Amino acid sequence: MTEQPTTEQKPRLLRRLRNEKPLGRILVVVSAALLLVVWEAWARTNSPLILPTPIAVFDRLVSYVSAGRAWPHITITVQEIVAGFALGSFMGIGLGTLAAEFNIARRVIMPYVIITQALPKFALAPILVIWFGFGTTPKIIIAALIAFFPLLENTYLGLTTTPALDLELFRALRAPRRVTLLKLRVPHAVPAVFSGLRVALLLSLVGAVVAEYVGANKGLGALIIVSQGMLDTELMFVAFVLLTLLGLTLDKLHGLSYRLVLRRLYGKTASSAGRAASRVSV
Amino acid sequence: MDSQPAGSGHIEVDRVTKTYASDAGDIQALDAIDLDIAPRELVTIVGPSGCGKSTLLRCIGGLIPPSEGRVLIDGEVVTEPDPRIGYVFQRAVLLPWRTVEKNVLLPFEIGGRPTSKDRKSVHEALEMVELSEYAKLRPAELSGGMQQRVAVARALVTEPSILLMDEPFGALDAQTRDSMNVELLRIWQEAKPTIVFVTHDIGEALFLSDRVVVMTARPGRVHEVVEVDIPRPRTFELVEGDKRFWALRHRIRAAL
Ligand SMILES: Nc1ncnc2c1ncn2[C@@H]1O[C@H](COP(=O)(O)OP(=O)(O)OP(=O)(O)O)[C@@H](O)[C@H]1O
Ligand SMILES: [Mg+2]
Repeated sequence: MTEQPTTEQKPRLLRRLRNEKPLGRILVVVSAALLLVVWEAWARTNSPLILPTPIAVFDRLVSYVSAGRAWPHITITVQEIVAGFALGSFMGIGLGTLAAEFNIARRVIMPYVIITQALPKFALAPILVIWFGFGTTPKIIIAALIAFFPLLENTYLGLTTTPALDLELFRALRAPRRVTLLKLRVPHAVPAVFSGLRVALLLSLVGAVVAEYVGANKGLGALIIVSQGMLDTELMFVAFVLLTLLGLTLDKLHGLSYRLVLRRLYGKTASSAGRAASRVSV
Repeated sequence: MDSQPAGSGHIEVDRVTKTYASDAGDIQALDAIDLDIAPRELVTIVGPSGCGKSTLLRCIGGLIPPSEGRVLIDGEVVTEPDPRIGYVFQRAVLLPWRTVEKNVLLPFEIGGRPTSKDRKSVHEALEMVELSEYAKLRPAELSGGMQQRVAVARALVTEPSILLMDEPFGALDAQTRDSMNVELLRIWQEAKPTIVFVTHDIGEALFLSDRVVVMTARPGRVHEVVEVDIPRPRTFELVEGDKRFWALRHRIRAAL
């Protein structure tokens, strides 16, 4: 559809001027700059062993990364996160679907879920190292165990909160159970599952890093432990920065894929559908 | 929708009683309802809120079983949702991720892979509710009245011999509701299904129907069946200018 450009552009320009987004961005940049200044000032009055200055951290980050020393750690940690996240999500979505579909499955699964939730999973890291060694396996297991729960919970919730009238419509249309699941309950559960995926993704990052503390020779978590041993606080901050950037990247990737799925399902109404959905999902 | 609906659409409600079990004890919603609705008849049901109108419609549609008594459609006892029946609910109940066209196609998709003939039926049903240009849009892009028309198209697309409508236009503003009613009569004249239409608007009931079933408060019984002898085709001007309309209106209001 082609509309007259003049009538289209005017309101858009007005909207952009009135838009609150730039103001929000400006406030973020200003407050971040302020924070850095305060950090720099504070760090100068302290020993670099306690708190390195942001400028020193930045210089170290650049030299560390450009020397190619960051990559081996990043790739290992990313591998652990991705594998743990994939495994945990797969299990969580699978068991959540089973629990939502079959009462008997729910009654069998839920007690185990509650027990695994009560158990602090990081406490398992030492035994997993004994069993599986210093490689990536224990980290993947920890990350998967942590990622698993939000997905089980959200998948179950998403699949069991289908509006009653929608279900009645499908019953009136004599839909078989499988069709009701695929054509009604699954699409309805998409926002809830995606909000579970988001939490799981960030939790598997935490899981992988903490598991690396317990026993690893590579990975960003291992780097933190090594720098602690060498009293190299600057290097530790470099690892923090890399981890933060990694988390942000993963979250961006999640947001991007969620938007793609919403766009596929809802077409042009995707943004309003996403907003409505984010109000109902956990 | 050029062909006549399959089957004749004769509904017999035979001493239907419905009692719901609830935490606060049993709730009797319907008490020995008897109704005989002729093929191609347009019957409305009015009654106070909670008197069991939706329950009666669910029993006729086979969505819930009666506690006692039975419902027959074309002489066969109803035990489950019936393909000869189309349903329109109080809300449009459209799937927001499907386009208008795909929402109307849903009844066919549930039955298997839609054929090109099914797609043609979707096209015709959308034409009937005058929404052809909106086929590719999603429900969020339509007004409430348009959404309800999509729901009507979805109910009509399988050419059911019976249309059950549970306060389908209750959530719409007065003008939109009037125009929907005019459209409904036109559709009914074209496709001629049997229609059972629940409403609590007496004016709407009189405008639409051959007969108005007036129910009593819970447990719902048939208080009175009022014949509407206002000639067709009807328009609001004609109906509201008719003395019989006001007389019937008074009579039903007194009964409620
Ligand atoms: N699933 C149910 N379980 C228990 N009680 C129910 C159930 N559905 C309806 N009822 C009760 O049965 C009675 C009739 O309900 P119904 O929905 O049929 O009324 P209605 O005439 O359609 O009312 P309204 O005009 O408000 O839509 C009500 O008192 C209601 O509380
Ligand atoms: Mg009702």
